Amino acid sequence: MAEAPSHSEKLKSWDRMKVEGFSKKAPVTTPYPFTDIEKPPEFRGIPHINPEKCIGCGACVQACPPDALIMEWDKEHGVKRLTYNAARCIRCARCIEVCPTGAMEPTTRFEIATDNKEDLVEVVEHKLAYCEECGEYLDFTERQIEYVRNILPKEIFDAYALEDRIKLTQEEKMRRTVVKLRELESNVYPAFMLVEKGKEKKGGEE
Amino acid sequence: MVGTKDLEAHFEFECKACEDGRCSKADVESILAERKGLKDFYEAFKEHIRECKRMTYGQYMFVIDREVLPEAVLWWHNHPKFKETHMSTAVGTDERPLNGHFAYMPFLNVQVEPFKMDENYWVFLKVYTPADDPSFPSVAAKLPAALWIEREVKDLLGFKPVGHPDPRRLILPEDFPDGVYPLRKDMDYRHSPITEPRTEYRETPEGTTLVPMGPVHAGVEEPAHFRLFVKGEKIVDVDYRGFYSHRGIEKTGEGRLTYNQVLFLAERICGICGYQHSVSYAMAVERLADVEIPDRARYIRTLLLELERIHNHLLWVGIAAHLVGYDTGFMHAWRIREPVMWLVERLTGNRKQYGMNIVGGVRRDLLDYRKEEVLKVVKEIREGTKKFLDIALNTNTFIKRAEGVGILPYKVAKAYSVLGPTARASGRKIDARLDQATKTAMAYHEVDFKVPVYKEGDVLARVLVRMDELFESLWIVEQLIDQMPDGDIFTPIGNLPEYQEALGFTEAHRGEVVHYVMTGEKNKVYRWKVRAPTYNNLPAVPEMLKGYHVADAPIIIASIDPCYSCTERVQFVDVETGKVKVLTEAEFNELSIKYKGVF
Repeated sequence: MAEAPSHSEKLKSWDRMKVEGFSKKAPVTTPYPFTDIEKPPEFRGIPHINPEKCIGCGACVQACPPDALIMEWDKEHGVKRLTYNAARCIRCARCIEVCPTGAMEPTTRFEIATDNKEDLVEVVEHKLAYCEECGEYLDFTERQIEYVRNILPKEIFDAYALEDRIKLTQEEKMRRTVVKLRELESNVYPAFMLVEKGKEKKGGEE
Repeated sequence: MVGTKDLEAHFEFECKACEDGRCSKADVESILAERKGLKDFYEAFKEHIRECKRMTYGQYMFVIDREVLPEAVLWWHNHPKFKETHMSTAVGTDERPLNGHFAYMPFLNVQVEPFKMDENYWVFLKVYTPADDPSFPSVAAKLPAALWIEREVKDLLGFKPVGHPDPRRLILPEDFPDGVYPLRKDMDYRHSPITEPRTEYRETPEGTTLVPMGPVHAGVEEPAHFRLFVKGEKIVDVDYRGFYSHRGIEKTGEGRLTYNQVLFLAERICGICGYQHSVSYAMAVERLADVEIPDRARYIRTLLLELERIHNHLLWVGIAAHLVGYDTGFMHAWRIREPVMWLVERLTGNRKQYGMNIVGGVRRDLLDYRKEEVLKVVKEIREGTKKFLDIALNTNTFIKRAEGVGILPYKVAKAYSVLGPTARASGRKIDARLDQATKTAMAYHEVDFKVPVYKEGDVLARVLVRMDELFESLWIVEQLIDQMPDGDIFTPIGNLPEYQEALGFTEAHRGEVVHYVMTGEKNKVYRWKVRAPTYNNLPAVPEMLKGYHVADAPIIIASIDPCYSCTERVQFVDVETGKVKVLTEAEFNELSIKYKGVF
């Protein structure tokens, strides 16, 4: 089998004249709706969310100018929902640029006319991380935590401390810090109590 | 612990604002010495000038008393030496949250010498009015260029231009209640009240008959309502009512979007000169952030701007041919145009709405095979257009309808601040590409081209100006491809300074596009004002129509290349504000039903 051409070679070899087959009589027009039309590989069509790669961080939601992408939290059921609505999309491809994992995938699709609005909507649901300590769901997803674990350099962060705290709500983190500070400043609590509590918790997690 | 105050006592901090001339403490004398004419103005209005500063390179601001506003504007506009100086537009701002005042600010494009970008400059004349009495003496009574903008600030901000000759409603719809001013900061942008509609047409003059033209224009298929008062076949007077597609993007940009998001909204103001708007806006923000964008990005921007000009001029000549009944020419012009659309589709990813810009550079690089493609298309177009012009300009159908029709004299063009090819066909020597310092965002000063100027001022001259420009643009594109430097295409931008103002501008194919940006807190835009060239050209159309036949009206109106959606600033994104935005599908539907009749 011959080696597959590189991306830039693929771009280079695409030729409109060959693809669309213009005649001499009609040099720029095609009987379009009755024939298929192919867009060049550079074309910015509507994007598509790859649910396998998406971690639910919401970077695309922050960047999207017309709010075609929206994020909803359902703390009761522990779900974070990312909705993409192609009807609102202006095809600026900002989401593709900002996505940290490459989950927003560019396509060359442009024919999205439909008689059912729901065809235009893509929904990705993520499971929110759960704080065992206070029995509440966190603001971020389990995949986000996984992602953070992978990108943080191990040598700099204390891996155990990270494991300890990464799945806690903000309030719980603050509470712990306060406890620790008090302990350091005035020794109100004996040191062994804190250590013991930490140990217990760790055991529970495993 | 060492506080900030102790540090300040020990070290002298360099004041960045002082160095830039933005600070009110900056040395006035050195600022005034930078450009010709500033000193004279300062001397002439000395007791009325409250503050004087440089906003950014080549942009100067004077804060003056409101009593002398008309005199100050006319001092510049009728300057005996700076012949092509014109009042570009004005901007009204609700600055009550900042200092308890409203601000009205006309600005002028001062031309010391045509086509010398380092000598010319912008002058901003800012006037503060108290919050309970936002009135100022009208400039429009003496200068027709201010006619529309004063009606606009009256509609949108509730200012009172005292002595305005035509104080009717301009922008807001007929069924909008009085006393509700959308651009004031205390009005939420989702609020949209309705009352009984009330039309304010001008009365038909005695002895004339009314011929309504519109609300949709015959050739350009956009909403604009002309009311022609005719005597027999002859047009005596004209009334205009437009702004049917005003939807308040300025409010949306100020309310919700971050500075990078406004860019994409700006690009969608117009379906034809979108990239010009996007570059203008990006330029304004880059001036504010005080960054220098890479050379390669400047070249790519210029290349796309010129390609846009080429395809738009071909589109326009097609429409002009169609309106005079020469449909063969229309078909051929559009056939020649199509390869440019295909080319930009491959360069940027779309036929229109390139999405290539980002504040600080461009988003896609120009690969080598695309360069070859550009040169191929340029060659094709040059041959095609030459052949087309050879035939079209020898066709009686075309020439007889265009020659000596819709004449706009130089003096009228200057009084109305007419811009772009329309002005150049009337003998005005202006071109924002070279007149003002476009060098921070574009590369026009590094290429060689001529600016065609005609004296006749009729429709044919406008055709010829545009066609000459098209060949110049082709030549610019070839040079750009040849000189394209290597390097990065993007520079990151830090935080924007708070409450600073700057202007971004380009020469679109219709005239200068101006984007005024005032930053707010936290990298948001406090005030964003868009002025498309048609905004200045359209008020002059009644002057062109007077004395000609009704049958000539469509081609005369189309000869300025009007773009109503630019002028009226369409494109509205109806969304909730707030930090975390949550809207369900049902709410979306509800909103769309609610606003169905309104927008």
